[in-house]
Amino acid sequence: MTLGKFTGRLSGLAMVFVLVAGVSGAQSIHLPPHEKVVLKNGLTILLLEKRGVPLINLTAIVKCGAAADPAGQEGLASATADLLRRGTTKRTAQQFAAELDYMGGAFGTSTSFDFTNVSAEFLAKDFAHGLDLFAGALLHPIFPQNEVDKLLAQVLDGVKGAKDNPQSVIGLYYQGYLYGSHPYGRSEAGNELSLKRIQRDAILKFYEANFVPGNVILAVAGDFQSVEMKKRLEDALGVWPAKPAPRVVIPVMAPLKGKKLLLIDKPDASQTYFCIGNVGIAETDPDRVAVDVVNTVFGQRFTSMLNKALRMESGLTYGASSSFDSHKAPGPFVISSFTKSETTVQAIDLALQVLAKLHKDGLSFDQLASAKSYIKGQFPPSIETSSQLAALITYYESVGLGDDEVNQLEARVDAVTPEIARRVIEKHFPLDDLVFVLIGKASAIGPAVEKYAEKRDTRAIEDPGFWPPLAAQK
Amino acid sequence: MRSSWLRIAALAMLWSLLLAAARTAAQEYPVTERTLKNGMKVLVQPDHSIPNVALYIFYSVGSRNERPGTTGISHFFEHMMFNGAKKYGPGELDKVMEANGASNNAYTTCDVTVYQDWFPHSALPLIFDIEADRIRDLNFDPQKIQSEREVVASERRFSVDNNDSGILDEQLWATAFLAHPYQWPVIGWTSDIEHWTIEDLKHHFEMGYSPNNAIMVVVGDVSSEEIFQLCEKFIEPIPSHAPPPPVTTVEPEQLGERRLVVHKRAELPLLFIGYHVPQTGSPDFYALNILRTVLFQGESSRMYQRLVDKDQVALSISSSMGPALNPSLAIIAAQPKQGVDPQVCEKAVYEELERVRNGPITDQELEKAKNIRLMEFYHQMRTINERANTIGTYEVFFGDYHKLFQAAKNYAAVTQEDVQRAAKAYFGANNRTVATLVPDDQEKAKP
Repeated sequence: MTLGKFTGRLSGLAMVFVLVAGVSGAQSIHLPPHEKVVLKNGLTILLLEKRGVPLINLTAIVKCGAAADPAGQEGLASATADLLRRGTTKRTAQQFAAELDYMGGAFGTSTSFDFTNVSAEFLAKDFAHGLDLFAGALLHPIFPQNEVDKLLAQVLDGVKGAKDNPQSVIGLYYQGYLYGSHPYGRSEAGNELSLKRIQRDAILKFYEANFVPGNVILAVAGDFQSVEMKKRLEDALGVWPAKPAPRVVIPVMAPLKGKKLLLIDKPDASQTYFCIGNVGIAETDPDRVAVDVVNTVFGQRFTSMLNKALRMESGLTYGASSSFDSHKAPGPFVISSFTKSETTVQAIDLALQVLAKLHKDGLSFDQLASAKSYIKGQFPPSIETSSQLAALITYYESVGLGDDEVNQLEARVDAVTPEIARRVIEKHFPLDDLVFVLIGKASAIGPAVEKYAEKRDTRAIEDPGFWPPLAAQK
Repeated sequence: MRSSWLRIAALAMLWSLLLAAARTAAQEYPVTERTLKNGMKVLVQPDHSIPNVALYIFYSVGSRNERPGTTGISHFFEHMMFNGAKKYGPGELDKVMEANGASNNAYTTCDVTVYQDWFPHSALPLIFDIEADRIRDLNFDPQKIQSEREVVASERRFSVDNNDSGILDEQLWATAFLAHPYQWPVIGWTSDIEHWTIEDLKHHFEMGYSPNNAIMVVVGDVSSEEIFQLCEKFIEPIPSHAPPPPVTTVEPEQLGERRLVVHKRAELPLLFIGYHVPQTGSPDFYALNILRTVLFQGESSRMYQRLVDKDQVALSISSSMGPALNPSLAIIAAQPKQGVDPQVCEKAVYEELERVRNGPITDQELEKAKNIRLMEFYHQMRTINERANTIGTYEVFFGDYHKLFQAAKNYAAVTQEDVQRAAKAYFGANNRTVATLVPDDQEKAKP
């Protein structure tokens, strides 16, 4: 086992949204040139040639995700994505696996609230075969009943097993408690009850409604020639029949007023895991760059105000951080950390003090300068590989942002002044309106944490689901 | 079913691809080396594709160099390397680095402690100044020692005590090894964490942190000349002393299966099986990796097909075999489904192991494994960060970074007989340690 200074772990939230940045000094960062083609059936293709290792990456974003799950069938979008490779018109799940593995290729899917990501990677020499596999999964899955049953049983056990490790699930409790019955409150993979309700019919319907070419953006990045690639993709994907793409509208939820606290009892825990926050920003918020600069100082990097106070100076925890998880509509902002049961109150108090200081003092010119340098200096490795680039350009295309997110970011980062920081802190970082979610040993910490909110709720970790309690769900 | 002609052609194609990959790697990524006067070896690989640099320093000291009573000191020391030296006081190292666009981390294993710096080219002289300061003049502030002790305790609770895999893994190693220092956890036993003294830290610094016990690897937007100049200025003047005393304890041969059980509250059971294997770079290394690929990698692997897909007794099954300077473990990890007796998974694993011990893997499986390894090789080469880590790992664990560029050839040369021989040699019942986590409430554990 290896251990280190900082594991850089993610909380239970699906993805930490890292805003991009430019590089400091003489050289400015640009996205490599890429070409956009829209096929007759509405499929958008982005082509990015990149020499180096002889690999080609395919990344598709389908503009549907867990937010589109019907209420009571949470996990439907995610299960649909997982099943794409498990039986197509040309191949059984086992044949798909055998051919994929034989090439040393990779294929994976992931489902967030607003998007489903389908990606694959192959040696350039195997691309034709790889594309056939990829297109088969995307265009012609057949969802065999036995594979559906197998997959749902696996996901169900996975959801239960995740509760054995608090850090894996606290984010799910947090988003549930914060968003309630709003789509962003769901567990993307589903819960113990919803997974039993999902039927093959629903999966088929979901696939047919959402996996249509007009709803898909596909980036191909790596070692190829564009002219030839365009033809291959047209042949493989141009046949996908056009159908109207559904519009998913996510209501905007405003930050909650007041305070509330959820304590999940895990009697064998020696450490309390906590999340504190409120609703944050959407991914296209005009303040997104300024928010990132401020959050870099407040809770994102090692010397952040939070980590400095809770780890470096007091030793209360191995790590404290904050993040904005932005979605199409405003997503959660969260302060996360953990500490031994005995110092629970001390750590939470300290985190709240740091938050209050942020509001009271704002950020100095020097603090901002340091953050800007950090963001710019750390950016280039995030667009080093074809898979990183493919993921980024499909993402921008799907949310309606452009290359300027990268090409103009140096200028945008540099433009953040202490005044702008102050405005952004007041608008987007909560202060007195806070949601608290704790996983820990209730008998040790329960009474002590009552002071944080008058409105309080409790659960046992083995109770099915996250929040709201499943019995209360329709 | 392919004709033998096609098979020969496919094999020839694969062989030439693997060799070409090795040649290309060596050409496109030339490494320049120099050993400084104080004994530190420096490896530089210029790569101007991004304006950034990855700088790693590998110290050949880890938990295997420790003693009972002060386990975890190497890892604790790693933390303290960030907590203040002469020029850059407590907290200043990170502050100054981040203000200059840089970030850092470190990791400790049984064998090595590795410090990682990632930064834009403009920060290069600063990084050398910081590294020299802490190699030469690391300071131990009593207040910092106390707060950092708490941080490590928190890390232990996070990685082990409140983590089912962490608990089981720790107990597996402690049971598989009777004598050798691989027995104790890198993070240290809880009571040892509570009792480390400043003298322990000083002793560890003197033992392990000599420039002649370290290798520096620099990959990225640099030239070899500028790196060697910076080494001459900042690193070369730091005096060396004797490296750590050799680890002479040899784990005696395991003569029979060992078993351990952990009972605790849990939703799901867990199963780990450890088999004693030789140190990295042994003659069986490549055959072992091919074997593990055939058995565990990808959904077409034998173990996945058997346990996850057909029998449906596990959610996942995988194996690991980390780099090691001394004979170590190859570990099989199975996540049984809820309510499944882990011994059911065990039985299936052993049946599959017997299959591969009793008969050779197929031609297709062998080719598949080599293709998967080829893909992995490219993944290891495609970022400056992965390359820095890989070059350093090969230099330390294989004794020569050139072996990295021979890996493709070595994999290409593995035969079905080699794989079967490795399976027979290492995956028998007497050589295994079986660790099982059993949820407390069996009634509740039923689906």
